[in-house]
Amino acid sequence: MWFSKLGSPKWFYELTSKWLPWLIGAMVIFLTTGVIWALLYLPPDYQQGFTSRILVVHVAVAGSSLSFFPLMAVAGIITLVWRMKLADMVAKTAAVLGVWFSFLTLATGSIWGSVMWGTWWEWSDSRLVSMLFQFFLLMGVVSLRSALEDSDKAAKLCALLSIVGCINVVIIKYSVEWWNTLHQPASPLSMSTESPNGPEFWVATGVMIIGVYLFLSVSLILSTRNEILERERRSQWVQDLG
Amino acid sequence: MIDAIQFSSFSEFIDMGGYAFNVWSVYALFAVFLVVNIMLPLRRHKQILRQQNRRRIVNNETEYIRKDDGPE
Repeated sequence: MWFSKLGSPKWFYELTSKWLPWLIGAMVIFLTTGVIWALLYLPPDYQQGFTSRILVVHVAVAGSSLSFFPLMAVAGIITLVWRMKLADMVAKTAAVLGVWFSFLTLATGSIWGSVMWGTWWEWSDSRLVSMLFQFFLLMGVVSLRSALEDSDKAAKLCALLSIVGCINVVIIKYSVEWWNTLHQPASPLSMSTESPNGPEFWVATGVMIIGVYLFLSVSLILSTRNEILERERRSQWVQDLG
Repeated sequence: MIDAIQFSSFSEFIDMGGYAFNVWSVYALFAVFLVVNIMLPLRRHKQILRQQNRRRIVNNETEYIRKDDGPE
C-alpha cells in the first residue's frame, strides 16, 4: 500500500531532512514580514487603536490551535486501524505543541480583553470556556501518555480523547454564533480600504497565519524526528547516524 | 495598503498609542513561544545524536577487546 512507505519512520526522517531548510526559511520570511508589518505599518483601528496589533497574533495562533485535535484524531485512527508507528509519534508530539498553542491563545486574548472588554476573563462566554476546555483536554492527553506504561493502551485512549476534542473544536468554532455573549464573531473580509477590516488588516493577518502554520509544521516535524530517533534507536539506520 | 510607518518617533513606537503593556507583552509571549518550540527540539536532537555516538564508540571498543581476547 502506498502509505506503508509513508508510515516508515526512516523514510519520514530522510524526507524531512531535505524539506526542513526550505520550511524553516519560509517560516522565517513569513513571520518576520508579519511581525514587522503588524508592529510598524498597521494603521490603528477606529475603535481599538493599536490593540488591533494583538489580534494579528491572536487570530493566527487561535485559528491554528483548532487543527491539533483533528490532526490527532486522524493520526489516532491511522494508529488503531493500520498500526502505523509514525502516526502515533505525530499524535504524541502534536499534543504537547497543542498545549502551547492553546495557552498562547488564552493569554493573548486575555491581554487584549483586559483593555477592550475591561475584563481578563468571563466564565459565561462560550468561546473562552470552550478554548479553556481544549487547553485542559490537551494537558490530559499529554499526562495520560506519560502516566501509562502500556503504549498500546495509551494510543487507544488518546485516540478516543482526540475524537472528543474534535467535537469541542466544532463548539469552539461556532460558539460565537450559537451563543452571543462577549467574544465577537469572526470579522468578514472586505476588499474595501474604507472597511474597518480592509485589506490592511487581513492581509497582515493572512501573512501571520501562513507564518504560524509553517512554524507549527516545523516544530511538529522537529519533535517527531526526535521521537523517531528515540523509539528506533536500536535499528541499524539510526545507529549509522551522527 | 501599506500607508507608511505609523510612528514619527521611537518613543511613540514604544508607547503604542497608550497600549504599550498589552501590545508588547503579547509580542514578547509570542517570541518566547516561537523560540522555545524550535530551540528545544533542536537541542534535544543534538543531544540524542551525541548519545548515539557515545554508545557506538563504547560498542566498537568492547567489540575490539573481545576480538583481542579471543584465542581463535
